[in-house]
Amino acid sequence: MIGDEGITPALPDGPSPREAGRAGRIAKAIRSDRQLLIPVAVLVLILLFAFLVPTFWPESPSKQDLISALQPPSGSHPMGTDQLGRDVLARVSEGARISLVVALLVTLGGAVVGGVIGLFAGTLGGAPDGIAMRVMDAILAFPPLILAMAVTVGLGVGLSTAALGIALVSVPWYARLLRSEALRIRSLPFVEAAHAMGATKSRIIARHVVPHCMPVLAIQMAAAFGYAILALAGLSFIGLGAQVPTPEWGAMITEGQQFTLTGQWWIAIFPGFFLLITVTATSMVADCIRDILDPRGSYARI
Amino acid sequence: MARVIVYRILGSIAAVFGASLLAFLIMRALPGDPARVILGPLASPKALVEVRHELGLDKSLFVQYWDYITSFLSGNWGYSYTLNAPVKSLFVERFPATIELALFSFIFTMATAIALALLSTYRRRPVTDGVVRGASYLGFGTPPFFLGVLLLIIFFKSLHWLPGPEGRLGIGAEAPPSATGLYPIDALLAGDLSTFWESIRHLILPSIALGVASFSFIVRLLRANLLEVSREPFLIVARGKGLARWTAFRRHALPNAFLPTLTTAGLVLGEFLAGSVLVERVFDWPGIGSLVYEAIVKQDFAIVQAFVLFSALMFVAVNLIVDLLYAAIDPRVRIPAVTAT
Amino acid sequence: MDALNDNGSVLSVRNLSTVFETGNAATCAVRDVSFDLRPDERLGIVGESGSGKSAMALSILGLIEPPGRVSGGEILLGGRDISKLSDRQMGAVRGKEIALVLQDPSTALDPVKTIGRQIIEVLAAHEPDLKRKAARKRAVELLEDVDISHAERRLDDYPHQYSGGMRQRVAIAMAIALNPKVLIADEPTTALDVTTQAQILSLMDRLVEDHNTAVIFITHNLGVVSEFCDSVAVMYTGRFVETSGVEHIFSAPTHPYSEALLNCVPNPEKLAQGPLPAITGFPPDLSQLPSGCSFAPRCPVGKDLAQCYEKAPVTHRISCPDGEVGVECHFAEARARGAST
Repeated sequence: MIGDEGITPALPDGPSPREAGRAGRIAKAIRSDRQLLIPVAVLVLILLFAFLVPTFWPESPSKQDLISALQPPSGSHPMGTDQLGRDVLARVSEGARISLVVALLVTLGGAVVGGVIGLFAGTLGGAPDGIAMRVMDAILAFPPLILAMAVTVGLGVGLSTAALGIALVSVPWYARLLRSEALRIRSLPFVEAAHAMGATKSRIIARHVVPHCMPVLAIQMAAAFGYAILALAGLSFIGLGAQVPTPEWGAMITEGQQFTLTGQWWIAIFPGFFLLITVTATSMVADCIRDILDPRGSYARI
Repeated sequence: MARVIVYRILGSIAAVFGASLLAFLIMRALPGDPARVILGPLASPKALVEVRHELGLDKSLFVQYWDYITSFLSGNWGYSYTLNAPVKSLFVERFPATIELALFSFIFTMATAIALALLSTYRRRPVTDGVVRGASYLGFGTPPFFLGVLLLIIFFKSLHWLPGPEGRLGIGAEAPPSATGLYPIDALLAGDLSTFWESIRHLILPSIALGVASFSFIVRLLRANLLEVSREPFLIVARGKGLARWTAFRRHALPNAFLPTLTTAGLVLGEFLAGSVLVERVFDWPGIGSLVYEAIVKQDFAIVQAFVLFSALMFVAVNLIVDLLYAAIDPRVRIPAVTAT
Repeated sequence: MDALNDNGSVLSVRNLSTVFETGNAATCAVRDVSFDLRPDERLGIVGESGSGKSAMALSILGLIEPPGRVSGGEILLGGRDISKLSDRQMGAVRGKEIALVLQDPSTALDPVKTIGRQIIEVLAAHEPDLKRKAARKRAVELLEDVDISHAERRLDDYPHQYSGGMRQRVAIAMAIALNPKVLIADEPTTALDVTTQAQILSLMDRLVEDHNTAVIFITHNLGVVSEFCDSVAVMYTGRFVETSGVEHIFSAPTHPYSEALLNCVPNPEKLAQGPLPAITGFPPDLSQLPSGCSFAPRCPVGKDLAQCYEKAPVTHRISCPDGEVGVECHFAEARARGAST
């Protein structure tokens, strides 16, 4: 009998996994894929906006100037001024720094804590695994944003407790993901071989499990980063996150909202617009990273 | 099968138990002194002791937790000091407005999501598909509260097409006689078409804002499912039987693609619960969301605590129901395979 | 049989071509294929995966989906060219005159519909007036026809309750339900184990005999071809490189590719001599076919000959002792002579 594979091995499209490393594949994808190029470009522009504007823009995000309050966008204030005469452009830029930095910290924190929990639960098994997973179930029993609300209400409102709440919400995503990866990788032949040769558990985790988990972890973190920005703005909008006068985007929308119906739309619209394009671009990049690193779609989406 | 159901139910009970413990720890045990929070920084020491006793804070944590969970389950959700009313009666009073908005939003966004997912997959025109995918990304990136503000600027402030942030009906308008608590339905039952129309007009913008996140992931999931199912050989077989394109698609692709979207019901509910807090205040909608928002602003934590636990309970319950429903609908789960005869 | 083509064939394919256009690359899956199928003929089509066998099957049924399309040629059935019919008109042909059986029985049936519904669907598609009871009765008869016991009861089962072999029987029952003139079977036994394969083949053998159906049997299993088919077409890069009676291919394959394919078939004698020969190299990319013979780079005969790379070979009709053979090779005549002496 002639099996298909007897004559021709299946030829997948595109380069073989060995041909280019992961970083190479991402770099190539960014160059060739417009769907990835545009959001990456948008994110780069937002980064530049966040960190370059303060180096040359003379206005300060906190300087009040009641005489020129509620000015519409003009040459000297391209995004207008708010009710206290503060320059909206400077504030949106400051808001971008806050959102990006806090979201980055939240993502890293959630990934490290959740990742460590998942790795140990998956590697140790038994009672530690059971306890850790029950705790994760308890966290997952809440709608995400509502648990984050509870944390800020309980521990006192503010940017740091809001960040803590969002990070807590994301812990089970990583824990579950890395636990199942650890279980899967642990049963791969080469890891079993390493174990048979006397490698310790921690060595196996460090040498074999962690490197293999990196792609799924990257995918999850990319998605969680966008969520963190959105959740932070949501909490600030209802007064649980950043407090007045911090120019966090969500808080700025709250402040500006009352003026939208009297015609001063720019106070709320500019931060909202930046929020929107940042999160949209992030989620597009996250999706593309998923397609590149995980073409089979083998991991559960949030 | 029965075993699976029992395990699933037990798992849900364990999750609710864990969640209540977590909520208790976060909101009661960790914050330091709830009595101080309730009474504010200027309260006298005597008043603090009294409130502490009233709240049972002088008892051990175990007893406190037991009191907390039993009183919640027995319907005692605490007392709102700012509104001078039991939390539960406040919730009951605000519930219809939230349900009305959520229901309308659900129907509206689901219909749109399904239509767009079909549009992008059925004919597979790259342009339509690109637009739909773009819309779903934008939907994910758009914060619901900001969309609310944006919609008000466009459709109320600039175009004057739809009413502004004035709640369920115009200011001074009389609510229809209450039968269901949902204004459009009550108005219809009373035969009051103008009130019906007014309430629908007031629902449109908040519904869009509330539903945008659910819309975006339903579109995305449904589109992916439809694409996957439409590559299935059984669709070619159905076409090979002589069925028209749409008939084959409707009979065989749609049911198989819709079934997995059931599992997102929990996600959708979560979005609606959290979204109500974000969106209702933008439109001055008198539901539970704005109640919670006001409670946050006034630091009336009994309301927030009740809302958090209530949300977790609903969330777990809906996820459980979806799982059981899925098992009841999908024959592959409902009827175990019998190999060989 | 009524309504044959003018030349006495039931199905006559003339210069059929199918391309898949993605971006700026056009992949030619089927290139200028012609053949006639006699009313009781069983034509085996063999070739590697990706040689265009399945694309040809779907092209005949008009089921090529965008970005693919039938780019030229005629498909004559009962004297009319069905490749020019609208999708709606084609619906009357599919299932009724030309039926289809696919490779993998586990994906060829809709998992959430009962077997009965799926069988009745093909009857109802062509007989709109069919009553429920009568349809059910015929479905039971069809299941009995394909040797499924307790047919009445098993009609209401779901596909996952059937074994792989039984599912393939159901697929065959659906295909022969309306006495089609032509049955296209795309690798109907590939996914089955050897015993089941034999059962399915003998079942098809019986049914095709009873119903007087012509068969296009697509496979890469030459053993099955020798058992089941009367004639063979060897397909390579979208073209028929050799068509002949079934004996010819096994006794004296003329095209170098046919010979190479045959050499890959294991039998006890050859296995004793050591490892089986494999065909070296890979088939060319169908979107950038060479100008000469597409097999040349892998061909033991023409690998080093300039003419094979420069000029595409034409089909030579050769009379061999075992019937007429069509071979697309520059050396067809020489090789045929060499084989017969």
